Amino acid sequence: MLRDITLGQYYPVDSVIHRLDPRVKIIAVFTWLVLIFFIRDFTGYIFVTAVLAVVTAVSRVPVRFMARGMRPILFILLFTFVINLITYPGTVLARLGPVTITDTGLQQAVFIAIRLILLIFGTSLLTYTTKPVGLTDGFEAILSPLSRIGVPSHEIAMMMSIALRFIPTLLSEADKTMKAQQARGADFESGGLIHRARSMMPLLIPLFVNAFRMAADLAMAMEARCYHGGKGRTRLHPMKFAARDYAACALLILFAVLVIVQSRGLLPIPQIWKL
Amino acid sequence: MKIEVQHLSCIYNRGTAGEVRALDDISFTIESGSFTGIIGHTGSGKSTLVQHLNGLMKPFSGKVLLGDTDIGASGVHMAEIRRRVGLVFQYPEYQLFEETVAEDIAFGPKNMGLDEQEQEDRVREAMATVGLDYAEFASRSPFELSGGQKRRVAIAGVIAMRPDVLILDEPAAGLDPAAHREMLRMISRFHQERGCTILLVSHNMDDVAEYCGQVLVMDQGKLLYSGTPREVFAHREELEAIGLGLPAGAELLHLMNQRGAEPGGKGALTDAEAAAAVLEWLGKQETC
Ligand SMILES: Nc1ncnc2c1ncn2[C@@H]1O[C@H](COP(=O)(O)OP(=O)(O)O)[C@@H](O)[C@H]1O
Ligand SMILES: [Mg+2]
Repeated sequence: MLRDITLGQYYPVDSVIHRLDPRVKIIAVFTWLVLIFFIRDFTGYIFVTAVLAVVTAVSRVPVRFMARGMRPILFILLFTFVINLITYPGTVLARLGPVTITDTGLQQAVFIAIRLILLIFGTSLLTYTTKPVGLTDGFEAILSPLSRIGVPSHEIAMMMSIALRFIPTLLSEADKTMKAQQARGADFESGGLIHRARSMMPLLIPLFVNAFRMAADLAMAMEARCYHGGKGRTRLHPMKFAARDYAACALLILFAVLVIVQSRGLLPIPQIWKL
Repeated sequence: MKIEVQHLSCIYNRGTAGEVRALDDISFTIESGSFTGIIGHTGSGKSTLVQHLNGLMKPFSGKVLLGDTDIGASGVHMAEIRRRVGLVFQYPEYQLFEETVAEDIAFGPKNMGLDEQEQEDRVREAMATVGLDYAEFASRSPFELSGGQKRRVAIAGVIAMRPDVLILDEPAAGLDPAAHREMLRMISRFHQERGCTILLVSHNMDDVAEYCGQVLVMDQGKLLYSGTPREVFAHREELEAIGLGLPAGAELLHLMNQRGAEPGGKGALTDAEAAAAVLEWLGKQETC
C-alpha cells in the first residue's frame, strides 16, 4: 500500500518529454507554477488543463499512474477545499448551523482545488519524466550563476538528488517494516487517533534508524570514491541543447504569452466565472 | 499445520511500465510438521511467496489453505492467521524498535492480548530457544547488540507467539560461518522439539540438503521442482542453468565421477554422505 505512492518517482518509458533537456523541463515547471497563479477564470483553467493533458499524453506516463500518485494528498486537497468553502463572506448559498457556504467561498474553494491539482500534476510530470541524475544536473546548471555570490549550488543540487533518490527506497523500507510488524500482530488501521499515533512507533523507529544507517553508508561510499564537492568535477554526459529543446522553449514562451494575455481578458473569448 | 497453495499468482505494479509477474500459477502442499526448503535465484519470488502464506499479501488469483481455512475468504480472522503462521522476514534485525530486548520480543505476545505474566514466560522461553541468556540480555537495548544477536532477538519475537508454522526468509544471510551453522542448528532443534512446521527460504544448497525433507525450487515466479532433496538435486544441469547448484558433497562426487574416479555414492548429498562414499571407495582401491 505504501508502495502505491508514486509521487516524485521516475516513470521509465521513452518519449520526447523524457528526452528533453532537464534544464528546459525545470524552467518549464517553474514557469508553469507561476502561470497557474495568473489565471483568474474558468476559461483559463480549461486552456491550461488541455495543454497539460496534451503534454501528459505525449510523455506516455499513464494518467492512472499519475492519479494514483495524487492519493496521498487527497486529504490535504479536501481539507483546503472545505476550509475555503466555509470561510469566505458573500452571498449565502447554504447554511448548516453556524457554517455558511457563500458564492465566493464556493468559487475560491473550486479554484484553489484546481490550482493545487494542476500544480502537483505539473511538477510530478517533471519527476516522472526526468531521471534524478538529470534533475540534479539541470538544477545545478540553473543555479550555477549563483555560485559566484557564494550559493553552494552543487551541494544543493546533490542534496536534492539524494533526497529524491531515496524516496522509493524509504517507501519500500517502510512497506517492509510495516509488514514485518504486522506479522507480529501490529495493527496500523484501527483504533482512535492517539492509539493510532502510538501504533506508528514500531514503524517509525526502525525507519529512522535505517535512514540514518543508509545515510552513513552512503556518505562513506561517496568518500571512498573521492567525492569532495563540486569543485573541478566534470560530467559524464554534458548537457547539450538539441533542436527539440529549442522548439520546446518556443512553445513555452508562446504558452506563457497566451496565458497572460488571456488572464488580462485581452483575448476575444469570454472569461467564464471570473474571480 | 498443513499448508496448501493452489494456482497462486501475484503481479506487482499492475498496469504500469514496471509490471512484474512475481508468482505464476504456483501449487504445492506442505505437510504438518515437515521441514521444507524454498530455493531460487534472487528475484525468483521466494519472499513474495512466503508473504502470501500468512495473509500479508492477498493473492491476485489462486488460493492459500491453512488447514481447512481459506485465508483469502471473507470473515477470516487475520490476527489469528498471523499468529499461527509466524514469518521472520529477511534481515529481521532492522525491525527492532523497543527500548529493551525483552520488550521487543514481547511485542507479538502483547498484540495477542496476553497478560504480563504470560508475556514474560513467552519472552523467557523464546530467548532460551534462540540461545540468548535472559539475565544478560533482557534489559539491554536491542540497538547495542551485534548483528547476529539482533537477528536472534528478532526471531525470538516471532517464536514468542508460539506459531504452528514458522517461516524464515534467509535467516542465515550475512552471518559468519559459525553464526550460520548455529542458526541452522537452532532452527532444526526448534523443529524437533516443538514439532512445528518449518519453511526455510535459503540460498545455501548444503543447508537444504542437510535439514529439509522437501524442497521447492522457484525460478522467475514459477515453481520449477518440488520433491525430496534427492529428487530435486538429481537435476544438476537444470539447477545450474537457473543460478543454483548442488550441495558441496554431491558436487564433489559429481566431479570425481567426471574425472573417471568412480566412488559411487549415488544420491549422496551432504558432506558427511560424500565423505563416507569417498572413504568406502578409497578402501576398495587399496584392497585391489
Ligand atoms: N513490493 C514490490 N513491488 C514491486 N516489485 C516487487 C516487490 N517485491 C518484489 N518485487 C519483484 O518481484 C520479484 C520477486 O521478488 P522477491 O519475491 O523478493 O524474490 P526473492 O525473495 O526470491 O529474491 C522480483 O522481480 C522483484 O523485483
Ligand atoms: Mg527475498
